[in-house]
Amino acid sequence: MHARARVAAARLAAEQVLELLLEVELPDPSPGQFVMLWVPRVGEVPMSVADYEGGVLRLFITRRGVVTGYIHENARPGLALFVRGPYGRGFTMPRGGRVLLVGGGTGTAPLYFLAKRAGLSSAGCTAAVGFKSSRHVILVDELRKYCDVRVATDDGSLGHHGPVHELAAALLSGERYDRVYACGPEQMIVEVLRLLEGREEALEASLERYMRCAVGVCGSCVLDPLGLRVCRDGPVFSGAVLRRLHDLGRWWREPDGRKRPLAPQATG
Amino acid sequence: MLEVEVAGLRLRNPTVLASGVLGVSASLAKRVEEAGAGAFTTKTVTREPRRGYMNPTFVVLEHGYLNAVGLANPGIEHFCQELREMRESLSIPVILSVGGGSAEELVEVARRGVECGAQAVELNVSCPHVRGMGVELGHRADEVAGAVGEIRRLGVPVLVKLSVHHDYLRLAEACLDAGASGFTAINTVRGMAIDIYARKPVLSNVYGGYSGPAIRPIAVRVVYELYEAFPGVPIIGVGGVDGWEAALELILAGASAVGVGSAIAEKDLAIFEEIVRGLKEYMEREGFSSIKELVGLAHRS
Repeated sequence: MHARARVAAARLAAEQVLELLLEVELPDPSPGQFVMLWVPRVGEVPMSVADYEGGVLRLFITRRGVVTGYIHENARPGLALFVRGPYGRGFTMPRGGRVLLVGGGTGTAPLYFLAKRAGLSSAGCTAAVGFKSSRHVILVDELRKYCDVRVATDDGSLGHHGPVHELAAALLSGERYDRVYACGPEQMIVEVLRLLEGREEALEASLERYMRCAVGVCGSCVLDPLGLRVCRDGPVFSGAVLRRLHDLGRWWREPDGRKRPLAPQATG
Repeated sequence: MLEVEVAGLRLRNPTVLASGVLGVSASLAKRVEEAGAGAFTTKTVTREPRRGYMNPTFVVLEHGYLNAVGLANPGIEHFCQELREMRESLSIPVILSVGGGSAEELVEVARRGVECGAQAVELNVSCPHVRGMGVELGHRADEVAGAVGEIRRLGVPVLVKLSVHHDYLRLAEACLDAGASGFTAINTVRGMAIDIYARKPVLSNVYGGYSGPAIRPIAVRVVYELYEAFPGVPIIGVGGVDGWEAALELILAGASAVGVGSAIAEKDLAIFEEIVRGLKEYMEREGFSSIKELVGLAHRS
């Protein structure tokens, strides 16, 4: 069953991105895990966890469809939403060494959670984060507590003008890292995977697919050809696994199970 | 020791992936085979693609699971490619679960599915949450029997999936007369869940199918009744199989094989090996040399 989650705060953190603080009792999530967020009579969607501390769950919700649209329009303190989870396999926590985070848009949120939980510091962590524009930026200031942060925007309104993988490429050309963590649009993950070809950095990246049960039984989020379920075997996968996924960057499975080409997206 | 034959299908062990769980792709079928399953049942496939219902479509409850996915599937034409790939990559039998709103649709889907490699057909005439495509169809025993007769002519075994929402003994008899090869029993039981804080039904469809340990005694009873009413007719027992003891209970009631479904939510794919190992150890301990000796054993004095 779901746990009731009272909205403690709701604010527009960036264009089309709502930041929600929810008071809810959950098993402690680990960075990279997700929850299912239910709005009665409206629908239920997966959301990655941006933070969970002191019984407060933090989410960054991009306005996309019926459910996220409803939340954007109606979330105010006191509103009751419902949460089940956390689900899935999150990131492997870094144990020392140098870490590179590569985030795109709200994909920055679980990376922030990782940096915070792992207690990273800018001596050991560099983050390259990309957004559509300066109006779409989230979590950059907070991430600076844990990492040396570099920003890219598609329109050049803040930081590097261009996709975030270009920042990552520049960082990787001058430095060796022990681990690279990526979360964001799938094309960004494909680019990061390409940058790491032939290198020794261990990559972990988080993927997204249409989900139903979230516990690994319905098969809606399966990735070919390995038969991996994003909700249970993922959402975080290692670089070695990602390289063997033919679906990666190419195919999205619709609710009816048919696959359609995954449209190239900007890093926002 | 664990090999069984079910309606002409040869299974390396009596575990079968039940319909509705994971049966969407050849890639998942391969994982299910590698996990140790004896046979694989696809998700129910209809003539046209179906998107299914809005989420929530699945609820985890204290003693089971409630789902109303809404027979989401890509339609038989698209699914054919997955069936072909399943046949290429799998050595365990592939059972195609067929759904539809009429006998004509069932026959059409089955025919195409068999052309694409399905080794057996299971008629889902008992889905508890899709109007016109599920339980209602099973109430029309003559129509289902008509479909059974025609599909039988395709030359593959035909299993009929039964539900407690039918007069299942009557439906079973009509299907047997029409040439059915066996039964799968039971489908999920119609139920619903209300969140007491939302004060609303959880499933977007309100009603769903209840599965898991709580329905096992119902499944055991139906399997027992079927075995008694139709001696020698193979049964795949499904309902609350969450370990080897539950599997064995259905076998003793008369099932030649057992379906594993929502228990995967808790134990993941490791459940197949767990059941196989548990059955083997039980048989060694209790002095049985073939699982066949245990099928329906609870009936004999």
